[in-house]
Amino acid sequence: MTTPSAIYKHGDELEKHFQVDINNARYKTTNGSTTGPSEHVLNAGQIDRDRPSDPKLLDNTESSSPSYTPLSLLRMQLTGLQDDINIFLTERMEVAKMKKSKLASDAEEKRIEEEIKVLLDGGDDDNSETENEQ
Amino acid sequence: MKNGREMSLDYVLNLEIPFTTSRQAQIAAKVLVPDPILKPQDFQVEYLSQDNILAVHFRGIDDRVLRVGVSSVIDSIKTIIETIDELD
Repeated sequence: MTTPSAIYKHGDELEKHFQVDINNARYKTTNGSTTGPSEHVLNAGQIDRDRPSDPKLLDNTESSSPSYTPLSLLRMQLTGLQDDINIFLTERMEVAKMKKSKLASDAEEKRIEEEIKVLLDGGDDDNSETENEQ
Repeated sequence: MKNGREMSLDYVLNLEIPFTTSRQAQIAAKVLVPDPILKPQDFQVEYLSQDNILAVHFRGIDDRVLRVGVSSVIDSIKTIIETIDELD
């Protein structure tokens, strides 16, 4: 059975592919790392009442290693894929935020420089001081 | 009453989810389609079932909008998968 996948695109400059690695533990759980209440909230005593249910076991599973239904496997794989997408887009958001912050900072710096320049160019009466001394 | 400002939705994510049967993919698409999008000018989503694959096409005005919308839809899809697993 194939696994879920995703492709992110932004214009012609960026394309990112998301694939599931079925041997990686992050694709073998229904509890995502980027969904649900934060650690801070859980540590404060909050109970996660919306916690995803555990994957469904195949009937008559008696072996020590559990076998899950195909749709449970899909749900676990999709959970890991969702985390991958969320982490990637959050990083992109941070980059955009830093760029915006730098632009604002550069604009502010330029504004201050302009103001200083205007103030310095406005005081152009050095000769009057010399005449007073004489 | 258009405000004249049309931002292009050029932040795109295409998601493919392989169900075990084409019927399941069709059910999932039919369940998802009626969900309203609060701000269609900022975010749009299309659903298509092709054989056993549910294809979801997301478009947003920026990465933040895309992240919120994509994660929300995936949560819905996981619920659908779980429901089908239990009841089908």
